[in-house]
Amino acid sequence: MTTSPLPRTPADCACPEFRGADLSRRGFLRGLGLAGATMTVGSAVVTVGPSAPAAAAGTSNVLVVLSMRGAADGLSLVVPHGDPAYYAARPRIAIAADRLVAKDGFFGLHPALSPLLPLWQQGKVAAVHATGLAVPNRSHFAAMEAVEDATPGSAERVGWLNRLIGDMPGTSPLQAVAVGSAPPSLYGPQPWMGFDRLDEVGVAGDDQWDPTDDRLRSLGKMWQRSRSPLAPALRSAMAAVGEIGPAQAQQQRSKAFPNSDLGKALSAVSRTIRGDVGASVITVDQGDWDMHSDLGTLQWGRMQDNADDFARSIAAFFEDLGDAADRVTLVTVSEFGRRVAENNNYGLDHGWGNVMFLVGAGVKGGYRGTWAGLDTSHDADLTVTTDYRSVLSEVVRTRTPVSTATVFPQFSPERVGAMAGV
Amino acid sequence: MRRRKKKQQKKKFRPVRYAATPVLGATDRHMVSRFSYGTTPELVREVQAAGGGLAWFEQQLASAYADPAADARIGDWWPDLHLDAPTLWKRQQNEVRAVWEVMADYSCRLMVRRMTSPHQMLERMTEFFEAHLHVPVNGDKQCVWRASYGDVIRRHALGRFDEMLVEAITHPTMLLFLDQAVSTKKAPNENLGRELLELHTVGVGHYTEDDVKASARILTGYRVDAWRTWAASYQPEDHWTGPVQVGDFADANADADGRDLVRRYLVHLAHHPQTAQRLARKLAVKFVRDDPPQALVDRLARTYLEHDTAIVPVLRELVRSVEFKGSQGLKLRDPSEDLVATYRALGATMLKPQRDEDAANAMLWQSTVIGLAPMTWPRPDGQPLDNQPWATPARALASMDIHWSLAGGWWPKTGVDYLQPTDWVPELPMRFAPLVDHLSRRILGRPSTRGILKAACTAVSVKPTEQITADHPLMRWHFNRLLGSFLDNPLHYGR
Repeated sequence: MTTSPLPRTPADCACPEFRGADLSRRGFLRGLGLAGATMTVGSAVVTVGPSAPAAAAGTSNVLVVLSMRGAADGLSLVVPHGDPAYYAARPRIAIAADRLVAKDGFFGLHPALSPLLPLWQQGKVAAVHATGLAVPNRSHFAAMEAVEDATPGSAERVGWLNRLIGDMPGTSPLQAVAVGSAPPSLYGPQPWMGFDRLDEVGVAGDDQWDPTDDRLRSLGKMWQRSRSPLAPALRSAMAAVGEIGPAQAQQQRSKAFPNSDLGKALSAVSRTIRGDVGASVITVDQGDWDMHSDLGTLQWGRMQDNADDFARSIAAFFEDLGDAADRVTLVTVSEFGRRVAENNNYGLDHGWGNVMFLVGAGVKGGYRGTWAGLDTSHDADLTVTTDYRSVLSEVVRTRTPVSTATVFPQFSPERVGAMAGV
Repeated sequence: MRRRKKKQQKKKFRPVRYAATPVLGATDRHMVSRFSYGTTPELVREVQAAGGGLAWFEQQLASAYADPAADARIGDWWPDLHLDAPTLWKRQQNEVRAVWEVMADYSCRLMVRRMTSPHQMLERMTEFFEAHLHVPVNGDKQCVWRASYGDVIRRHALGRFDEMLVEAITHPTMLLFLDQAVSTKKAPNENLGRELLELHTVGVGHYTEDDVKASARILTGYRVDAWRTWAASYQPEDHWTGPVQVGDFADANADADGRDLVRRYLVHLAHHPQTAQRLARKLAVKFVRDDPPQALVDRLARTYLEHDTAIVPVLRELVRSVEFKGSQGLKLRDPSEDLVATYRALGATMLKPQRDEDAANAMLWQSTVIGLAPMTWPRPDGQPLDNQPWATPARALASMDIHWSLAGGWWPKTGVDYLQPTDWVPELPMRFAPLVDHLSRRILGRPSTRGILKAACTAVSVKPTEQITADHPLMRWHFNRLLGSFLDNPLHYGR
């Protein structure tokens, strides 16, 4: 079937804003979305023009936030080989110093992170150790909430990324994009877009058999003023559909992406960035770091698999970006770290401090952070010496026009030195 | 001039009643929309015959466990769900069928039960507690034991929480999932000991790190012979002995057999006022609103404690509260609720599946596309009960996609009987506006409004007064577009 099954009569269009409409379909979709964003009602559809700012925003910087769900063990990823307590506390799962890569006198990377070495050698990877929440929180769920809201003491659930985009110029409905499940750091009053698969973004029924856009107009009637809990998201989605074409038109370039959830997600992130659709913040949630058992060794276990996937995905991502890599900074966040001492199951229970990676534009490469020294008792933590918000603040300050006081209220960041120009 | 036009518009889209199709009043509709999996003509008849929503609710409670044998036959289409742990494992090793495939059966069966069971309340509460004491169906480790765990929850879902907790926490699937099955007295694994306090009972902020360690010690001794025989046992030599204290629970713990200690510990936790608060709040979030008033939570918690952790009295209190009555339209359907309600609203008849692509199996992928298949939430806290995680742009587009393919009968194509356009139309010929009213009653459970009529007219380019005949383009080509305008109405997304 290539054509409509029967000739269509012009729509029996009831509402004035569509009568004799010279509105483009994109403008209409966008109008829906912005009506949702600004709570404008009524004639928003005609007063909001089709997008101009999206293209202008194309040259701006992009922040990619990768959440490593389940609390990754930072001591396995960035090994403090210079601290003897590390080896004393982990008789079976510690990684021998001579197996580490990018080693300096104190730290070294898990050998499965080798795919990141070219970027590391170019000074584009920083590892900030012993970061986290100011006080330990060993609950995955409470810690994630605290990390992502980043407003201690506030009952309001607004994520730090939502505050960030709230203060950014540009009106693209694709300004903030979640690939895969959306992290709570995006939740809040500012609209954002999310998808699992870039190529599938679209409105079902908005197809060649509907040349008069009956489907979209019908949806518009139902949702434009709806107070359904889903309405703001649905309107954002419809607006984003109108703008996402250029991203969908991009092809994956790197052959090095692993065939994993993370690999696929970062491939879509790269296409979205290269499509110049006005994205400033993109999130990727990746899970399965909660290794109470079978974290394993260099021969077997979950850590080597995860670390390998992590490194190959990120390396492929920056290769795939090509020239666009100059405006992309990736930062990783995990809700907390794990204990210093291994348990009886080749695993690690919930701890405190962790490592954060920063990769790409503006990053001052190398090992960063302050080391307080490890303790070998069975419930010892990696003590946090750098508030994770100090790390994020440097990224916000150097890569966005937004004030860190807006993003992290009532917080005075300390200098970390992981970004150039701070 | 403008005003006159507006007046004409108003008249043009005035809804026309099709009273022959029954609907429930707002209060009764609210009750069944929260405690069933979506409206059907049978459900409407059932509520009317019972004498209203509250009477239906009581009838559901009274009949939930009346015939467990009949209940066990509902959607019993997947024989592998009856196989024991060693058999499932052997079949995986021999490459007969992988455990994850059997777990796909499990998720599908839950949805078929929700779709077809007359005991909607039992399904609702089973879902609630199976999520509260969540063991995901992804992961070989715990899944060979997983199906029987669901039966445990089901048996207690309208019973007592203390009894449910004891059976659930010591069930092999839970022991495996949260690493208790490999814990030792030398180095107690804290995973289950912590989540028991944080998720299953008192909640975060109501225990200390020392409590977690003691909790982990109390639970030592349970073993499951993972990856070999999968036999579950209790090994006194693995049980940590010596005094333990968790909050105000203290015990000398001198006996190498800690099982009675565990029972007492779990019963204590179930009766803890903070557990009461936590369960009361979760029930209120699921069935009332995302931000339930503390006064309601307090009343529910008190009822729970006064009735020795019995669940039914709490539900009775909840549905009679003013907070419940005032909460219409505030809850969003989650992905599998959306899917099940869509099949029910479409009057589709699910058939025993023969192949992967048949509807009863394809539902797994459909709910995954919308956002989540039953019991696949990857973390131990169970899938969220509040709206926000499901009120995302990706979900909106995905729901529209699934609704569209079901409205057209395009996917799944087999293993299901869809109604045809002629089945949907109560008489022919008839005018479009009363047809829209009939469909609104059937699919949305309420009479049409101006907005519903306008959206329907726009969706298919038909005027309200237009005469619909058997060979009208609507009947021949566009009925799916009309159905789509109901399934994508904001009202269909709510519960």
